[in-house]
Amino acid sequence: MKFWLIRLLSVAVAILGCVGLQVAAGSQSDYVQRLLTLAGLYVTLSVSLNLINGITGQFSIGHAAFYQVGAYLGGFLSVRFFHTSGLPPIPWLIVTLIAGAAGAAIAGFVVGLPSLRLKGDYLAIVTLGFGEIIRIQVQNTPALGGSYGMNVEPKITSIAVVWLLAILCIAICRNLLKTATGLSFLAVREDEVASSAMGVNVTRAKVSAFVLGSAFAGGAGALLASFEGFITPATFGMDVSFIILTMVVLGGTGSITGSVVSAIFLSLLPEYLRGLKSASGGPLTLTGATVVAYMVAVVVAVAVIRHVYQDGGRTKINRLLWTFGALIGAVIVQIIASVALNKIGPMHEKQIVINQLRMVIFAVTLIVLMLLRPQGVFAHHEFSWTWLSKLREPKKEVAA
Amino acid sequence: MSLLKLDAATIKFGGLVAVNAVSFELNKGDLFGLIGPNGAGKTTTFNIVTGVYKPTSGTITFKGRSIGGTPSNKIASLGIARTFQNIRLFKALSVLENVVVGGYLRHNTGLMSALAYLPPSINETNRLKAEAMELLKVVNLAHVADVRSADLSYGMQRRLEIARAMATQPELLLLDEPAAGMNPLEKEELLVMVKKIRDEHGMTVLLIEHDMRFVMNLCEKIVVLDHGEEIASGPPSAIRNDPKVIAAYLGEAV
Ligand SMILES: Nc1ncnc2c1ncn2[C@@H]1O[C@H](COP(=O)(O)OP(=O)(O)O)[C@@H](O)[C@H]1O
Ligand SMILES: [Mg+2]
Repeated sequence: MKFWLIRLLSVAVAILGCVGLQVAAGSQSDYVQRLLTLAGLYVTLSVSLNLINGITGQFSIGHAAFYQVGAYLGGFLSVRFFHTSGLPPIPWLIVTLIAGAAGAAIAGFVVGLPSLRLKGDYLAIVTLGFGEIIRIQVQNTPALGGSYGMNVEPKITSIAVVWLLAILCIAICRNLLKTATGLSFLAVREDEVASSAMGVNVTRAKVSAFVLGSAFAGGAGALLASFEGFITPATFGMDVSFIILTMVVLGGTGSITGSVVSAIFLSLLPEYLRGLKSASGGPLTLTGATVVAYMVAVVVAVAVIRHVYQDGGRTKINRLLWTFGALIGAVIVQIIASVALNKIGPMHEKQIVINQLRMVIFAVTLIVLMLLRPQGVFAHHEFSWTWLSKLREPKKEVAA
Repeated sequence: MSLLKLDAATIKFGGLVAVNAVSFELNKGDLFGLIGPNGAGKTTTFNIVTGVYKPTSGTITFKGRSIGGTPSNKIASLGIARTFQNIRLFKALSVLENVVVGGYLRHNTGLMSALAYLPPSINETNRLKAEAMELLKVVNLAHVADVRSADLSYGMQRRLEIARAMATQPELLLLDEPAAGMNPLEKEELLVMVKKIRDEHGMTVLLIEHDMRFVMNLCEKIVVLDHGEEIASGPPSAIRNDPKVIAAYLGEAV
């Protein structure tokens, strides 16, 4: 009884929270609403990819394909059937969401079953190929607008539904990890041979995770189609798959918290960069020399920090001081290098709009992460309310 | 009737015959040893019994049913569990969680119940955790139940592998060099533990071990492999004096 009451209450809180967010966003600019919507969709995408790559240990690098399947399926249904359905916009949005998720789940099953039955990283190759096939197929299908794209009517924006999907995705992953079933998924990630020897149906676990993850990506796609009102195959290219993958890896493969935080961070970062203005009011541009100076500074900081952390003999405070010093040093290096390099004519003349550096910044972030914290920012950790109190507990000693 | 029967079981890897026409039979309640020099084909024998590899020829029968080439997870649910020579724990999982996964094959609720965290799944998970805790007591690991399994000492990891295998509630337990890397005291404890597993938990045990003293003290029947072939079988007293065995272990005291 108490169980159901708590369950009902948490669902109510989630719904109220999301509706509240939408109401609060209602008074904000279109731009802010757009950011909130995209952040919510990316949270769904990265948490669902984390289920496949992080929790179950597979390596899918074509998550955007399922996002695309959901988007085109949802969009197509809207164009064809919204008016005849007679449904109000929000229920209709949910119908397309479910349809998009179902379509992507079927695609996930068809793609996943043959590749996941095999040992080894066939999934990476197959998902990459599938993404390209779907994209090119859509490009050459006039009924879906080809490479010009498809107008999706009606346009339906609902921040509440977007974030409810994200929360559902997070809740499902968290629930799973609390059960023995979830442990069996983690076991598959840790060691397939041993899981199988313990009676775990490895193929089934992998395919379940893959289909479920694909379904969430498809649902997010359907919401994107209704939100944008216009989708093109280019919206779902390899770069999108790469960004989702970056979110999972950056947050710490396997950590739901990490996937959420880095999805929000990385989906807002390009928008933030785009918003940066130069003194004259135009978009902020950097000279080639300045960009190179930043690179040099990053290399210096990473090299020092890495060195400090690999030396086991240092105390914590010593490490922190050195890290701090390295960061200050990097800033100084950046200033000196940029002054010096800007004296070189060709390097000074090359102007780069900062927004174009988006992919470079992603790549550099990933490289720095691999060097300093390969397990990801959150590693295997999850946020919980007891986390703060746990911080103060002494580390457990393992007695023999 | 025999519990496990190998009849001319053979497996070839390319030109190498890793296990060559090996035949032996285990009865229920046996404490059976499989020994032989390095590379003799002992682990490979375990691998064909547990479905990691499909035998090239010959038959393997478990409880009257032919299991050669059956998938590993099916074999586990039929009642054969194993440990690994090169420890294969679920490193990132806690000690308790490792054992819960061992019991997972007896878990009977669906994925949907887990995703929604419904009472059937919660209850099953709690049941498996409670059972896992009991098994951890058997192998003396209850005090480290929440520790990450990768952080355990070598000897403890070996014991955890045994607990995890026992959690599947097998009729036949295969132990691949369970004493490797243990100190004499740990080995002594292990000896008692394995006897207890047979006597109190009613599991039939087939074990591979390098430590001759350990095997001779523990096992009632032994099969000796060398270069994939069975060179002797019988009680420890007979094995100890077998000239072929002495030759295979040239220089080593048997
Ligand atoms: N998957 C495999 N592929 C090729 N050769 C293998 C494979 N597994 C085992 N072998 C070979 O089979 C022989 C027996 O190995 P193994 O059963 O591990 O010996 P041991 O008796 O020491 O456990 C060795 O020569 C080994 O190299
Ligand atoms: Mg071996």
